[in-house]
Amino acid sequence: MKSPDEILKMEGDLLTLLKTVMDPEVELNIVDLGLIYRLEYHGDKKVDIDLTLSTPACPLGDAIIANVHEILKANYPELEFNVQLVWDPPWNPDMMTEDGKQMLEMM
Amino acid sequence: MQGLKTDLAPSKNVVLPHFKYAAISFFVLAVLMVLSSPDLAGHYFQPSILTITHIAALGWGTMIIFGALYQLIPVVMETALFSEKIAKINFWILGTGILLLTGAFWHFSVTTLLPIAASVVFTGFLLFILNITLTALKATKKNIQTYFIVTASFWLLLTGLLGTLMSFNYRYNFLNLSHLHYLKIHAHMGILGWFLLLIIGVGSLLLPMFFVSHKLNIKKLQFSFFAINGGLIFLTAEWWIFNSSMLTPVFALIIAAGILSFMSYVYDSYKKRMRKNLDIGMKFTVLSISLFLLPIVLGIVASFRIPDDPLLFNRLLMLYGFGFLMGFITSLILGQTYKTLPFIIWLDKYKDRIGKTKTPMPRELYSEKAATIQYWSYVISILLLSGGIIFSQPVILKAGSLFLLICAIAYNFNIFKILRHKPIKK
Repeated sequence: MKSPDEILKMEGDLLTLLKTVMDPEVELNIVDLGLIYRLEYHGDKKVDIDLTLSTPACPLGDAIIANVHEILKANYPELEFNVQLVWDPPWNPDMMTEDGKQMLEMM
Repeated sequence: MQGLKTDLAPSKNVVLPHFKYAAISFFVLAVLMVLSSPDLAGHYFQPSILTITHIAALGWGTMIIFGALYQLIPVVMETALFSEKIAKINFWILGTGILLLTGAFWHFSVTTLLPIAASVVFTGFLLFILNITLTALKATKKNIQTYFIVTASFWLLLTGLLGTLMSFNYRYNFLNLSHLHYLKIHAHMGILGWFLLLIIGVGSLLLPMFFVSHKLNIKKLQFSFFAINGGLIFLTAEWWIFNSSMLTPVFALIIAAGILSFMSYVYDSYKKRMRKNLDIGMKFTVLSISLFLLPIVLGIVASFRIPDDPLLFNRLLMLYGFGFLMGFITSLILGQTYKTLPFIIWLDKYKDRIGKTKTPMPRELYSEKAATIQYWSYVISILLLSGGIIFSQPVILKAGSLFLLICAIAYNFNIFKILRHKPIKK
């Protein structure tokens, strides 16, 4: 079992890793887009991730989720990831990080 | 993964042939406009104009809309297309029908080839409508966009039916009134009923997605739905059944109000957009919505039978039809192709490599330079052609057509570059 500091660090590392996953249409990473609702490392092998898409009709949803799975598996093969696609609450632009909003405005 | 609609997307073999056919049609259309540009200063009821109009409406507009719609059905209706097989057969039927139809108009073979060609095209319409209706019926969630698409298909049915009746009338002469009268009804059902309602249905979902904007007023779309459909039903009934034009300005204003309500919805989406800079696809889209004001104003003016001078009135009608087809609809397609086709190809080529190796962005599948040339040559062509029609100037019309040809070449260059994209080596 990991210490709280180690858990926090791992969660931070995972979020940093997820910043490499881009929405191909908006061309912004899914963390700054605010698509990751929950990322919880339990200190053992298990990681729970709740993510959403900007709209249930997002035509690129498959690609984004496949990217999340692949990148997590490739970098942390020892961990078990439970990735859930959730729709509640529905995503809106206010959920973006400040960095994300700035990047989108500059694009 | 539960909740995902992308698993429902059709095979690329259903969608891509439509894009190819449409791109080539746009090129042929531009070539014919260069060859027949002086005719744009004349009356619209002549072989070259009828040919150009039907290539624009069918080979270019309808063909690409069919293809894009097959791809977007899962996005809009959240269900898979009823039958991919019907869609594939339909492509060949419609594609052949359009070739025959435009050939019949160009050679003005109206008593022999035209009825056969129109029947083939109409068969294609029927198959499309069947496929879309059965898809909508199995969709569990029916949103306003679904209603727009289904009613648009219904108007396509009526447009095709009247067109086919007119084609048989050349031989059997059973319609009471002149062809110009029926042509007016045929054109309005096609443009306002088919194209416009379909564009609103799909556009109201996609444009906010591309602008990254939320919290839009859906009531504007509901008003638009009832105003356009209601106005058009009364307008066609007045023209077709009662052979009158007395209330036409009233119905024109109702339809215009419906269109403006949709435009206001798009404007809200534009104003609330998170993404400030527009890519080439959205630049064309904004241009398209702006250009749409021209035929709206001209349509209202024409409904009051202004101006009195028949020559000027004819030029106004020509510009009105041109504004819809070559302005609003063409610019929208020219832009939205970049918002759909690169993504379809990108997903197809890279879906097994996402997350494993570095992949290009979908926008890197086409040439930005060619797209910019396409944009500016289109803007210049629209300005020249509009001026040439109003002032009846063959030289300006020729110059405008040449710029349209440049636009068509740049567009085709990019479309076939995207279609022939080879995945970057691992």
